[in-house]
Amino acid sequence: MIKHLLNVNHVNKYFGGNVAISDVCFSVEEKQIFGLIGPNGAGKTTMFNCLTGYYPVSSGDIVFDGKKINNRRPDEVCRLGMARTWQRVKPLGSLSVLDNVMVGAFAVTRSLHTAEKMAREQIHVVGLDDYAAQLAGSLPIGLKKKLELARVLATKPKMLLLDEICGGLNHTETWAILDIIRSIRNSGTTIVFIEHDMKAVTSICDRIVVLNAGEKLAEGTPAEITSNRDVIEAYLGGGHHA
Amino acid sequence: MMKQAIIPALLLAVGVLIPLLIGENPYITGILITVLMMATLASAWNILGGYAGQYSFGHAAYFGAGAYTTMIILSVSDTNPLVAMAAGVVVAGLIALVTGAIVFRLRGHYFGLASIAVAEIVRLVVLNLEFTGGAQGILLTDVKFYGLDLNSKNPFYYGMLIALVLTLGITALVRRSRTGYYLQAIREDQDAAASLGINLAYHKNKALLISASLTSVVGSLYAVYIRFIDTHAVLDLRLSIEIILTAIIGGVGTLWGPLFGAMLLVPLAEILRSNVLGEALVTHGMVPESSPVGMFLKEHLAHAHVLVYGIITVLCILYLPKGILGLFRRSGK
Repeated sequence: MIKHLLNVNHVNKYFGGNVAISDVCFSVEEKQIFGLIGPNGAGKTTMFNCLTGYYPVSSGDIVFDGKKINNRRPDEVCRLGMARTWQRVKPLGSLSVLDNVMVGAFAVTRSLHTAEKMAREQIHVVGLDDYAAQLAGSLPIGLKKKLELARVLATKPKMLLLDEICGGLNHTETWAILDIIRSIRNSGTTIVFIEHDMKAVTSICDRIVVLNAGEKLAEGTPAEITSNRDVIEAYLGGGHHA
Repeated sequence: MMKQAIIPALLLAVGVLIPLLIGENPYITGILITVLMMATLASAWNILGGYAGQYSFGHAAYFGAGAYTTMIILSVSDTNPLVAMAAGVVVAGLIALVTGAIVFRLRGHYFGLASIAVAEIVRLVVLNLEFTGGAQGILLTDVKFYGLDLNSKNPFYYGMLIALVLTLGITALVRRSRTGYYLQAIREDQDAAASLGINLAYHKNKALLISASLTSVVGSLYAVYIRFIDTHAVLDLRLSIEIILTAIIGGVGTLWGPLFGAMLLVPLAEILRSNVLGEALVTHGMVPESSPVGMFLKEHLAHAHVLVYGIITVLCILYLPKGILGLFRRSGK
């Protein structure tokens, strides 16, 4: 039987009178790679902030792993098994790479020894072994993105929300990250993925939701999405949405 | 681990032996007690300010809570001073919990401002209550502690030394624990910390509670040592700021920085205040006493210690943002 790990039911988010998200519904199955795409200002990051407890939702329900999680604190959401990365990376700058990832690992253990062991595993997964002792703040952007990934993986999430993890990366770096993401999914973690790079999205996602101006514009497989007239219009401009 | 323990052990040995070496010298012992006191206060502040990055400008409130609670209890009863000290920790802890519940909703500069406000509230309350002695303060005529001669300064020297060792020990333990990692994560980026499962309010309050309790212990010791307190001596904003400066100049967020800062600043302030420098220059014939420079040194240098303090702080913030200790350690924690 297919299990839905995340259900988003009729979620609305207003900032004062501005509608940021309007009546959006979607469901993510276990072990899916689920894409959330849309033009700038479509509400993708706002949706992530609602899912992970940084914004309270104005109305609607978010159900994760059978539990209603609207308006839980971010740290509670993380401990329930839904972890996120940041579009603008947030390294703990004056701590080493190893210490950064250990902070993540402490979500599942109290022991310093175990945390270090788990952290080294995740650092190896993203290929940062050579940088473990470096200060996180001194890394170039590509490695900071990998650090975000290692750190969030160390919390052992059931579901991983990646906010433009490939943003600012070159072609080679992007494909390296996508490979890592595939292997994360294969080891059993569900992934929700915000991305601008259409090629990256269509190559990796099982299912995609397109947001535009806060509303759900379309949902389907990558093939369905790339041939959808509304989506093409929203991305290429022209028509009534502009 | 063995190697790491050698330097602290040596420092401790020196600390224990100093009073035996200098004999009964109240003046020097008094300065050393102040060094230990400021080192302990700055170290305690450092747990919250240095590791968790929450700059409290109101730590005088916890110092005062310890001092006042102890003095009030001792002036009306024959309680063991240690029990009075423990009561001070409880009062300081309560103030910390109330403060934390209010000010940790705020971030950055707002937290700093709110911490001043809370400390000022505590000061004004104490100043206007009857049982705290109001503006007159509290004078303690006699205090007994297991037959120790409390007219000598040595017992207080060792008391402060124990407080310092306790504070540094706790700091070292916290630093190598999950809590230590969490506090540093909070300092670096609160949003990132929360997204990694860190309960921000809980851990900030924990750090504040540890910091406030240790600060209150020093307040109790100080009160029994001086045997007179008023709001100006133990609850003043000036004290909160001196604590911060000691930590900043020594090295914020390092284990030894606050001790360094106190070892540097307290003797420096004393030298300037007592005008040792000016007198030495005159008596060694470097500067004739009747010359304008000599007159200036004699008349004004003693009053300039606050100015010198300020200049050192500005220079430190500009050129040594990691404090004096940062000079010796370019990288690492």
